[in-house]
Amino acid sequence: MTLKIYPYKRLNRPVALRVTSVSLKLSDGTRDQLETTAYSTQQHAVALGIAGHTDWVSATIGLSATLPPGANAPDAAWSDLCVLAVLTDGETNVRTSTALTRDAEDGRDWSGSLEVLRDDHLGRASLAVHAVGTVDGVEGRSIAETDRSWVVDTVSEEPVRGLQLDVQKASFSKSSREWLHPYADVPWIVDVSARVPTVFVNTDVDGIIALLDSSGSGVEGKVRDLLVAQMATDVWTAVFHGAIGELEVEAGGGPVFPDDWQGEVLREMLPDVVPGVHVEEALRQVHRRRTGDSGWVELQTRIHYAAARRADAGKALAYAIRSLEQMNRESET
Amino acid sequence: MITQPNHVPERLALLSASAVDPFLTEELLKGEQVHGGIDLAKVVESLPDDARWSVEPIRSLVEDAMFEFREDRTRADAWLAPRLHATLRLTRREAADKRLWNHVALAVAPDYVAWRHLSEPTAKRPERRIAPERFRGPADRQCFSRLWWAAELFRNGPDYAPVEVACGNQDLIHTVLRGGLVDHRPTAQALVRLLQNGQVTGGREVNGLSVAINAAGATLIYDVLAPDAPKDPTRLRDWIAEAGSALPVGRHNLPEGPDEDPVPEDSVAALTEYFTELFETAPVRGRKGVD
Repeated sequence: MTLKIYPYKRLNRPVALRVTSVSLKLSDGTRDQLETTAYSTQQHAVALGIAGHTDWVSATIGLSATLPPGANAPDAAWSDLCVLAVLTDGETNVRTSTALTRDAEDGRDWSGSLEVLRDDHLGRASLAVHAVGTVDGVEGRSIAETDRSWVVDTVSEEPVRGLQLDVQKASFSKSSREWLHPYADVPWIVDVSARVPTVFVNTDVDGIIALLDSSGSGVEGKVRDLLVAQMATDVWTAVFHGAIGELEVEAGGGPVFPDDWQGEVLREMLPDVVPGVHVEEALRQVHRRRTGDSGWVELQTRIHYAAARRADAGKALAYAIRSLEQMNRESET
Repeated sequence: MITQPNHVPERLALLSASAVDPFLTEELLKGEQVHGGIDLAKVVESLPDDARWSVEPIRSLVEDAMFEFREDRTRADAWLAPRLHATLRLTRREAADKRLWNHVALAVAPDYVAWRHLSEPTAKRPERRIAPERFRGPADRQCFSRLWWAAELFRNGPDYAPVEVACGNQDLIHTVLRGGLVDHRPTAQALVRLLQNGQVTGGREVNGLSVAINAAGATLIYDVLAPDAPKDPTRLRDWIAEAGSALPVGRHNLPEGPDEDPVPEDSVAALTEYFTELFETAPVRGRKGVD
């Protein structure tokens, strides 16, 4: 974590944020209260697609925030304390905020609700809470905030914050997507230029779909897992290269983390690609190597390593080998 | 310079970035030759039936822009941004789909992209070229999406006048659209006000000010200093629903945007005052007293 120096007194611990309820307002005016499985405190994620509605207009997310100790101290450096939930979405340039209210006069718990408009988001938004006050006569000072934002996914059916893949099946030789035709002789390709990284699986390869859809725990299942791990390695590698290749550079010359899932992927992979430094520094190093004279080729091994780890390739291979050994043993006896 | 493709579709569609590549030829990027349109039509995904996807109004706008601003192409931005926004009525969710903008740039008006963004020859780069990101690229760089988003972020409710001001300053839309600074509506309006009253003019000043606002924003929450009003989603939906029956946008007068509430005046005034103070002490390259 980067250490920031503030020119005024703050609380030195983060605000804790919980989602307490989620409901959708549908286009016919009715409301659907979503089950608690629509959000996960462990994942810090909300999945608004969970009930399968596509015609919702807005979602109301109930929130509860707890400020760190010291927020209400009589000798605190701030006055006019207020707590704000802020929803941002880099893809649609949305920033909306809503004020929370204090549950009890001398307590540290604040609660309220935030509206998420369907028309304002394509994929994921990010939700944070700021405690704000007047310090040394300066209004609007940030005193504490959440250290980890919640992900509000307007499409997903499952509250997870990790990288989400889209898997599409198509006959590469006959698809109406003509750009797939040249790839007809490979089992899958990865497209990271789409909004969400997509794996196109080539149904021209006999049996590939049956294999991928197999749910057995036998050898078939292990081979499927191995195949999936291989695809996932390809995806992580492609996504990493795609994200690094399109980095925006700040006016000062340094690369900036992308707002969308590409940024998430980079943050997750960089510690394995350039170990031992902050992710910001790791990003600068990788960018320098790609755009500079040397070091990019040498980095490929680390990128592959980071991708294979994410894809659990080692585990999938170990299980597949063990399963083959078992099968051989059984056929011997 | 290229003209429109022989075959221009009648309706907008979605064109994925992977499908764009074969059409982004070196000849197109040099502004010398454009695809015929027929092959491109085969790789698009169609949109559901809706009067909004008619291509003709967009074609007619870009042709008028190319005629009107033939002497000064940069000025076309301030004219086209509000008119494109009022013609192509979209939710932000729809506008965030880059495939739509790929289609406008490649299939509908590649000649406009070339006209507006073909570089002037310089000593360093004598060959004229269009950056590929003007056809297929980040929202704040792509030829048409940058204009649409500038209009969306700088309009004050239905009033497009601030958009004209903002788009009249290339540095402002170049630096400020990224980074989320103007996602907060009162901040966007306060910036426009500083341009309008002449307190901030050139590119260096705009850059200096946005760096200062961002730096101060690390410790200040502007939403508290300048609160915005909650948004009613039905206003935009109504405006979009009227797209089919709306008249073509005026060429001389500014069109009217969705009937949403303007930014609270108190908030704009408070931030304008705050930014003015910030700007007076901000380091701006080339200004007196700063190296």
